[in-house]
Amino acid sequence: MLFLQALLSGILTGGVYALAGIGMSLVFGVMNISNFAHGDLMMLGMYLAYFAFTLLHIDPYLSLILIMPIAFLFGFMMEKVFINRVIYHPHQNQILLTVGLGLIMSNTALLAFTSDPKILTTSYSSSAFNIPGGIFLSVPLLISFLITCGITAILSLFLLKTSTGMALRATSQNREAAQLMGINVAKMSAIAFGIGTALAATAGALIAPTYYIHPLAGHSFLLKAFTICVLGGLGSVAGAGVGGLIIGVVEAMSSTYISSDWKDVVVFVLFLAVLLLRPQGLFGKKGGQA
Amino acid sequence: MKQIFLIAILAAIAAALPLFLGENPYIIGIMISVLMMAALSSAWNILGGYAGQYSFGHAAYFGAGAYTTMILITLFNLNPLLCMAGGIVVACMIALITGGIVFRLRGHYFALASIAVAEIVRLSVLNFEFTGGAQGILLSDLSLWGLDLNSKNPFYYGMLLVLVVTLAITAHLRKSKTGFYLQAIREDQDAAASLGINLSFYKNRALLISAALTSVLGSLYGLYIRFIDTSAVLDLRLSIEIILTAIIGGVGTLWGPVVGALLLVPLAEVLRSNLLGDALVKAGLVSETSGMGLFLKENLAHAHVLVYGIITVLCILYLPKGILGLFRRVK
Repeated sequence: MLFLQALLSGILTGGVYALAGIGMSLVFGVMNISNFAHGDLMMLGMYLAYFAFTLLHIDPYLSLILIMPIAFLFGFMMEKVFINRVIYHPHQNQILLTVGLGLIMSNTALLAFTSDPKILTTSYSSSAFNIPGGIFLSVPLLISFLITCGITAILSLFLLKTSTGMALRATSQNREAAQLMGINVAKMSAIAFGIGTALAATAGALIAPTYYIHPLAGHSFLLKAFTICVLGGLGSVAGAGVGGLIIGVVEAMSSTYISSDWKDVVVFVLFLAVLLLRPQGLFGKKGGQA
Repeated sequence: MKQIFLIAILAAIAAALPLFLGENPYIIGIMISVLMMAALSSAWNILGGYAGQYSFGHAAYFGAGAYTTMILITLFNLNPLLCMAGGIVVACMIALITGGIVFRLRGHYFALASIAVAEIVRLSVLNFEFTGGAQGILLSDLSLWGLDLNSKNPFYYGMLLVLVVTLAITAHLRKSKTGFYLQAIREDQDAAASLGINLSFYKNRALLISAALTSVLGSLYGLYIRFIDTSAVLDLRLSIEIILTAIIGGVGTLWGPVVGALLLVPLAEVLRSNLLGDALVKAGLVSETSGMGLFLKENLAHAHVLVYGIITVLCILYLPKGILGLFRRVK
């Protein structure tokens, strides 16, 4: 029973992680950039959901309709102003630029919203479904999971069926060749970063009702998102989805069977093990040596 | 040889500075921070600047030195120099394990793996009992082995000595076989390997030198502050500050990290101690009791990380080779 409980809550939490991981993986695939500001973009999503709830009295899940376009525009602009200028620079410069942008976001939030953690309490925050057999499923996590599935399905359709989606995938496969085929790769980069930001903010908004909201909350999610991407293969969207679920389950299992203090250590050890044994990830095609 | 003379002359001037400034603990404190950051960043530069391996996890070695020293002293009251040696051993062990894992990887993967190792170290220290966990370790004994921990001067000279040693090693490396191998690895790993350079041997060598020096600085820091916890000595923020200092001064240059530390540490201090807010109030630009004045007083102390972020972004976009890189381009 304990096992089943841990498995189910792991999958539910993993869904939200998957969303954050997919955003990061898309950016990596199209732009070949590790976005170290991803966690802070999630933090912005958390605050957007919080203020939509406290100021506008919009349900956090409903507020996604507002948050996603705002975050997309924010990411689109961020790419246009900052990121695209380092797209052909060495990795370390790209990493440091996004680190710097992340520091600016988290510390501006620290100045504006203070370091007091905020809690978003909805009427259903602590309610749970009671499945016969003594298993509890948290209602907010269940809703988050279903929304995640919906968004992932829409994103997959977009990437597979629309011309913009195909152009994005082409850019991801081979930037130069895509450009030679007449694809505007600069625009694709901005779109990818916008989608990545929107997904990060959505993941942030989805966990806002079950997590404390703090300007530095993005930090721990950043490393988790990286682990998910590497597990699924950097740049592989489907891989990141599965990677998120795996990380969610691993976390829940290690909390249950080892100790919740050590769950992050288990995740990082897994991360290193994947880098060592299968650097291309579970689904990636490119090698880790690339 | 020219560089060695320059190091010696500047070291002599730095060594004489406390005599002229008298016993002003505040100024000495800032100078210790400058020396420490310059030495940390120079030690990182050996691996990051010359071998081109951007480690984002150097806090692990700093923390290894600090924690080993503090634990050995509080438990066994060992001689501080022995404790430092212990710190070096622990840091080198972590470095060997890290090197075995991360040096197979390149680019993004290397940066990410170095963070993961540092985070494992940080979380382990946080969760173990003997490391004091979240409470950290406090050193209450103030007179250790004839060393008066209340005086800041020994630490000033200690940090200066490590900085000089680090710079001397760097200056020597630049002209030695190992140094040329490292720079070859930085420029093109595959070309270096095809010329017969043992990549992992030389990368590990650079990492071990860098980790040992960083751990000594950690030991000195622990004894100097007499209190350590994971957020002070093992945080990712520290690793990033070390890299930033090198970037702003100039990565892969001998003096870049020193220039970076001379700029960044006093700047952080001005913001942290609210000197800027006080100056604005004194100049009559902002009234102390007005909303703006109170806001500055409350928040400016936190703003130094924000300023770090802004400097990083500007530096990467407009000055990716750092301040010293600017001069080199003219030449």
